[in-house]
Amino acid sequence: MAEFGKQLERLEAIVRRLESEDLDLDEALKLFEEGVERLRVAREQLAQAELKVKKVLEIESSGSPADR
Amino acid sequence: MAQAIDLFAAASAEGAWTVGEVTRRARALIEAGLPPLWIRGEIAGFKAWRSGHWYFSLRDKAAQIRCVMFAKQNYMLPAPVDGMQVFVFARPSMYEEKGEFQLTVSELLSTETDGLWKLAFEKAKASLAKDGLLDPTRKRRLPLYPRRIAVVTSPDGAVLRDIQSVVGRRWPVAELIVVPAQVQGAKAEASVCSALNRIRRLPVDVLIVGRGGGSIEDLWAFNSERVARAVAAMPMPVISAIGHETDVTLCDLVADFRAPTPSAAAEAATPDRAEVLAQCAVVGQRLTRALRIASRHVVERLERSGDRLTRCMDHRMQAYDVRLTSYAARLDALSPLRVLARGYAMARDEQGTILKRIDQLPSGKEFRLRVTDGEVHGRVR
Repeated sequence: MAEFGKQLERLEAIVRRLESEDLDLDEALKLFEEGVERLRVAREQLAQAELKVKKVLEIESSGSPADR
Repeated sequence: MAQAIDLFAAASAEGAWTVGEVTRRARALIEAGLPPLWIRGEIAGFKAWRSGHWYFSLRDKAAQIRCVMFAKQNYMLPAPVDGMQVFVFARPSMYEEKGEFQLTVSELLSTETDGLWKLAFEKAKASLAKDGLLDPTRKRRLPLYPRRIAVVTSPDGAVLRDIQSVVGRRWPVAELIVVPAQVQGAKAEASVCSALNRIRRLPVDVLIVGRGGGSIEDLWAFNSERVARAVAAMPMPVISAIGHETDVTLCDLVADFRAPTPSAAAEAATPDRAEVLAQCAVVGQRLTRALRIASRHVVERLERSGDRLTRCMDHRMQAYDVRLTSYAARLDALSPLRVLARGYAMARDEQGTILKRIDQLPSGKEFRLRVTDGEVHGRVR
């Protein structure tokens, strides 16, 4: 899973670029497509997410030196 | 005199007491005559041994008594300092090996409410402050969209349940990594430190350290300087939710964010999914609007170019027109019809070949003669 924050940051950058610059239609379309795709992925992540809970044992039976 | 003799009669190997017998007897007498009791006094000459046992004197203006408090009695207590007024619950006894009257202390309280704890708290706090660990500028911002949230807490308490439910509702995108720790009792300090140490190496975006409410003794692990320093040294932002809002622990002070409850901690650690979805909808609208605007720019530019092209073509066509007219005039001047009009005639055979020389016109040859207004047929005689 791509990092959600990065995904939103990139989206924001795409929208800004589309909004502010006099782009070629070709480039504008490319940015738009990327934006739509990222948005779709982000929404999917939000919609499908189910909290994963992982328990890490405080002291593993082996007691590796890294635990101390 | 007889009495004197009797007295000296006991000064023999059989009659005299040994030192050990006296101290043993004295100890028995003291322990029988003075049951364990509360004693008030001032701490002097306090020394904590490596074994964990504490040695000090308890004194007032009139007297002083040697005291010992063994590690198994004092392990949960912050150490007192000299000059502190305390109550001790102690068993008066005799330390036979040294022949010293002493108190074996099982409870030690400051005469001031929670005095020992407060003192220890202030000492540790001062030490943390000296190292700049309480500096507000140290506080880091919490991540906006955390991927992994670690929780150090008791594995089966309400704290974990609350955090899990809030994160599950608001930001299930995240992964919750639970590192169980003992949050109360003798092993709490070591257990919390070990849990923190474990998380230090995990790719975690934010950490919640949680503990439900309790007495100042119950919360003590989170007032330990060792735990506070471990929290301060965590590589990721830490949210502290210890006890009730009124109990400020050292852990709260060094954390990047202090939450009044475990639920509030979970809220601080997460964005709300519904809000983020709404934000996504806005981004989607901006995307389409921006594309529409961008394409309109392109269309306008195309139209402008089209106009220029047309203007350009018009101009060209005019120029062609002028040139065509002049070519037409010149062509007209060169036209053979013009020559015929001046009275010349042109002879051609059936195939249209122009007959210009005598040898092309033998006797009897048929030809057509083109004159200015038409053609006539003829034959050479």
